[in-house]
Amino acid sequence: MGLSRYRRFASGAALSLFGFTACTVGPYVEVPIEIPIDAKLDLSEYGRVLVGSFVTQTNENLDLDSETSRLLRNQLRLNSRLAVIEAEVEPLGDFSDAALEASGLAEQFDDMAAEAVAIGDGEISRQEWIDLEQDKLLEDEDYWRQLGEEFEEPLIISGRLRFAAEERSGFSRRDRYVRDSFNRPRLVRSTQFQERNAYTLTAEFYFIDGASGRTIHRERFTEEVIFGRDEESSGLSSYFELMDRILPNFLSVVTPQTFRGTRILLR
Amino acid sequence: MHRLTTSLRTFGMLAVAICLIGGSAAAQPGAAPATSGSGGGERSGRENSFGVEVASKGLWKEAAYRWEKAVELDPQNPKAYNNLGVAYERSGKFEEALDAYETALELLPGNEQIRQNYELFREAYERKRRKDRDAARSRRR
Repeated sequence: MGLSRYRRFASGAALSLFGFTACTVGPYVEVPIEIPIDAKLDLSEYGRVLVGSFVTQTNENLDLDSETSRLLRNQLRLNSRLAVIEAEVEPLGDFSDAALEASGLAEQFDDMAAEAVAIGDGEISRQEWIDLEQDKLLEDEDYWRQLGEEFEEPLIISGRLRFAAEERSGFSRRDRYVRDSFNRPRLVRSTQFQERNAYTLTAEFYFIDGASGRTIHRERFTEEVIFGRDEESSGLSSYFELMDRILPNFLSVVTPQTFRGTRILLR
Repeated sequence: MHRLTTSLRTFGMLAVAICLIGGSAAAQPGAAPATSGSGGGERSGRENSFGVEVASKGLWKEAAYRWEKAVELDPQNPKAYNNLGVAYERSGKFEEALDAYETALELLPGNEQIRQNYELFREAYERKRRKDRDAARSRRR
């Protein structure tokens, strides 16, 4: 009895071993691989990076410039080979409604818009004007060259940030299954009005050569988070949620990435 | 003990069945043919198999060298071209990988494994090309 049990065990083990061996010497092998993808920018000539300040536009209670600079500095420190310069740079420009009012720029714009209408140039949108003003600051090569000289010509990262709360209420379709009197499932489609808000973050990053002050690359990302009006959502937590989505794309510009996958080798 | 024996036997039978299915798939029209009977073909097959063995242990440089040798010995060896494609892709040599996969597919158009590798590679390659295009556009700006 004992011997027969031993034989049965041995034959099972042998069969398993044979099966395992047969598989490992089969016609193909699946292997995991990591595929390197170069950074979008060739930054080999830079050893250091300065995260400058950003032109910002938000009416939320949030310091967009310093939060973003801090976040980018941390990410670059963790993920790139560039040495991050620890320096606070003077704010570039706050284009919030309150700041525009306080500086008198809003009034200046209103006069200019009225004049344009009077001479038949048509209406100028306030956002277009803000974008043009921001462009002037971001494309001021002399300013960036001076800043570059001050920090021994590093790569400078700056850009524009816009964070806004927006209305997203509207009708949305809702599908649900209900059971009829015979207990059969039935699809019921309905539309429902939903009161929703959203936070939108638009970040356009400028990569500037600290030696010449020229922009070598720029890239724009927009992300949005939508939530019901009865849900609690603070501007700051939404900002971090949106930046979490943007950061991998930002990093792919300055650091190499790897994609994981599997491939098949043929024997 | 009895339960262990039964499960071992079941596992063994399952493994054999899977391998038989795999083996029969390899014998189908799209499957990679055995290397030709000539001396170069046999040596190419040996280099290719050795390459797979060392790649499985993580020695990809040695594997790539073996597969390069395999295609040199037998330029009609689709398996070696496929494997070379994987090695090139892994080291970021995308143009070379594209050539290798395409040659493998030309030599063995119906092979599922080569096609699968090629399609996955195209995905990664397209992503890389898109990035390169973006970078070039921003440099021109």
